[in-house]
Amino acid sequence: MHHSIDLVDIHVKLGDVQVLSGVSVEAKPYEFVSLVGSNGAGKTTLLKVANGMVRPFKGMVKMLGHELWPAGNGNGNGVRKEVGFVPQRSISNRFPMRVNEAVLMGRYGKIGLMRKPSRQDWDKTREALEIVGMTGFANKLIHELSGGEQQKVALARALAQEPSILLLDEPTTYLDADSQSEIMETIYTMHQQRGLTTLLVTHDPHWVEQYSNKVYLLKDGKSHLIRQKA
Amino acid sequence: MSWIESLSYPFMQHALVAVLFAGIAFPLVGVFIISLNLIPLRFAMMHIALLGGAVGLFVQVDPMLMGLLFCALSALTLGPISEKTKISLGTISGYFMTLTLALSFILFYKGNINVIQAFSILWGNIFALTAWDLVIIGIVSLFVLSMIFLFFKEIQAILFDREIALAVGIPEKSLYYLIVFMLGLTIAVSMRMIGALLVDAFVLLPAMAAGMIARSLKQSFILSSFFGLVSGMSGLYLSFRFDMPASSTIILVASFIIALCMLFGRRLVSHAKA
Repeated sequence: MHHSIDLVDIHVKLGDVQVLSGVSVEAKPYEFVSLVGSNGAGKTTLLKVANGMVRPFKGMVKMLGHELWPAGNGNGNGVRKEVGFVPQRSISNRFPMRVNEAVLMGRYGKIGLMRKPSRQDWDKTREALEIVGMTGFANKLIHELSGGEQQKVALARALAQEPSILLLDEPTTYLDADSQSEIMETIYTMHQQRGLTTLLVTHDPHWVEQYSNKVYLLKDGKSHLIRQKA
Repeated sequence: MSWIESLSYPFMQHALVAVLFAGIAFPLVGVFIISLNLIPLRFAMMHIALLGGAVGLFVQVDPMLMGLLFCALSALTLGPISEKTKISLGTISGYFMTLTLALSFILFYKGNINVIQAFSILWGNIFALTAWDLVIIGIVSLFVLSMIFLFFKEIQAILFDREIALAVGIPEKSLYYLIVFMLGLTIAVSMRMIGALLVDAFVLLPAMAAGMIARSLKQSFILSSFFGLVSGMSGLYLSFRFDMPASSTIILVASFIIALCMLFGRRLVSHAKA
């Protein structure tokens, strides 16, 4: 399987607003690629396009060697099982979900429909919670956590999934400076240890500089490759 | 006639069996409504069921069967219509709610349907259930229970966050439509039991009470079924004992349970946290 991300000439409209008008981003297997740009530049939309959650009206999306758009018509459940997605937003509803259940959810796609989680799935859940330093929160309810703690849980869910590709949407937004470094180091260690292909949306030039093989700037609906490590 | 004596009559036996099924299974759909904020859709389904019933009376076919058919068809089409037109499910629901209500009243008027028949749809009658009604209520209840049993983890993920459920590789859209389908069936059947206007007695109120104290989805399901059963059974008994309309009495009991959960729920929850 090619652990690659190929987004070619992506055009997306959200309602009447054209958010992306010809964006191309490529992440080769095991690369760490960053997307930067101002608010509203379409970074989050592009991550959702990559995961088959937003439909482009023009362009081609290829993930792990599978064409999601236009050929696959967005039927990407098989691909999504291999893609860990960490959204930026925190959970605002009061749905009664414990932290360990929320992390176990990362395994659901791989477990399959109508099957119960095995002991191995729970082990992966515990391991992921340990990696992000949230073991002590396992039995707390998600809505009782702070925004930063919820982001760590979202990362743990993505890691429990054991993906080939990691899509991260500003994963440190709600964290304090110390936790930001800690989580970014964790992400980079996982990226290297597990041989992941990572696409990171961030505002922080520090992480971009430190970890990225490639950096794309999204501006006026277009992408610009602004930096590439030799 | 005493309560025990009344149990020898088929109408009371039918009512008890219906409450047993509906009390356990229908509040589970209420958990979906609350978690996914499907209140406008539930309103639309109630009115669509009413239109189905009105068509049933107009063409002289079983109103519950027609209500069931209309709700099932709507449940299968409303989601895709919303997706194609990019109009939210809430707005589409509002449109269908008013449209179906208007059509129902036109049918009542044009079909010379008498007021009592029309009101039997609006208010329902738990003591007028036939054996055939019980079969339908039983099938819908077992369908809801088995779907929740089979797809518990997927449903849990969707109720928690639809986007995350999709992101982890769950067929979120199909299962969301399954939830809407269960909602449609349940409301159509509740209409016959307790009436279009009081559907919430079995569907929403027990789930609201459970939501105030539950600390997991499993607890929400178990408690809402328990409250549904308790309010249904005791409402039935009290309506008989004090000669009051059954539907309204069931709602009174369910509302009382909600008030208790409001009063003591917070204390229970803080105790559980500690």
